[in-house]
Amino acid sequence: MPRLWSWGVKMLRREKKMFAIFTLIYTILIFLNSFFIHTTLQTGAGQTALIYIGIFFGTSLLLSYFYAWLIISRNKRIFATLKCIGWTNGNVKSLVTGNILYTTFLGFIIVIEILFHYAAIMAYLGSPTPILIDLLPVFASFGVFLLVQLIAIFLGNRRVLKLRPMLALKRVEA
Amino acid sequence: MPVDKNVMIEATDVNKEYRRAGAIIRALIDINVSIKAGEFIMIQGPTGCGKSTFLNVLSGLDLPDSGKIIFDGENIARAKEDRLSKIRRQKVGMVFQDFNLIKTLTAVENTESMLWPTVLSNKEIENRAIAALRDVNMLERKDHFPVEMSGGEKQRIAIARAIVGKPRVVFADEPTGNLDPESEKQIMELLKQINRDYETTILVVSHRDNVTKYADRVIKMANGRIV
Repeated sequence: MPRLWSWGVKMLRREKKMFAIFTLIYTILIFLNSFFIHTTLQTGAGQTALIYIGIFFGTSLLLSYFYAWLIISRNKRIFATLKCIGWTNGNVKSLVTGNILYTTFLGFIIVIEILFHYAAIMAYLGSPTPILIDLLPVFASFGVFLLVQLIAIFLGNRRVLKLRPMLALKRVEA
Repeated sequence: MPVDKNVMIEATDVNKEYRRAGAIIRALIDINVSIKAGEFIMIQGPTGCGKSTFLNVLSGLDLPDSGKIIFDGENIARAKEDRLSKIRRQKVGMVFQDFNLIKTLTAVENTESMLWPTVLSNKEIENRAIAALRDVNMLERKDHFPVEMSGGEKQRIAIARAIVGKPRVVFADEPTGNLDPESEKQIMELLKQINRDYETTILVVSHRDNVTKYADRVIKMANGRIV
């Protein structure tokens, strides 16, 4: 399975445009979620902050499912071909899972990077509050995002099961 | 009933129907055929005669409605999907008309992709892929992507992918359908060479008459029956 995950990641990274767009979206979502959780912890659970957190988690669930759907739809023929040459449903699912989890993990790492750099710059400039978001809300956001991804992967992977290998034999229209 | 070890595939009373726009189409009707290990078979017939369906059920991509298909001693007509996948990985190579290479992978990676789900080490997978590319005379293009290759070269890579798992049978569905006459000749000669060198059973679906000379036997089909 680790081999299939790593090849899934490699294939995804070569699809530069989609990979870059979704990494950016995930980074923004994790960042904003973390920011609102941080604000809620600092100032008490205000209704507005809770509404924003709910909106961002709902959005992330929809986007994650859309991402899984997009990966499977764009690669239908590839997955059908892989099934034809002997890949099981589980093997194809591993490839999809690797793609999605990698994008999420990368979004998380970018957020951490941004926050560290922000803190370093602010400390250098002598700001009294160099920390924009504590690490705890970032890790909490990442944890919930992972959960959301697993739901999206579960829903998306049901489409993999329905994919018939014979699709690979259909002629490509010129 | 004793099993003839020389028989690679035996289809008995195989029937297959499709429902399309409310109408029932009988794609295969009482098919009985025996294919020996190491044979080079050509399946021919007009469009819609059932030759691709025939290839699909023999390779385990599709299941027949009735009848038996003994593939290398095992009845695959009622096998579960994961078992069929395993059989295809261990014993079957597939070649498609549209090549079906993954555009984000190089030639050697496309060839290797067949073996990624196996327990073989990465080094062993790479060695096998290199050997398969050498067999199809494409080793010098191993780091090229499909977009950088001609149709004939892509089909050679697809054949390398089909043989990298050392299959007992290679199924090819119109493998020269998208190729010019010169590439068609090269691909057919390559399949013949694989058949000769490795004693691999080859089944080719083709509507072109000029390729029958490569086959040991031609199975002609019309209206879902062998004629």
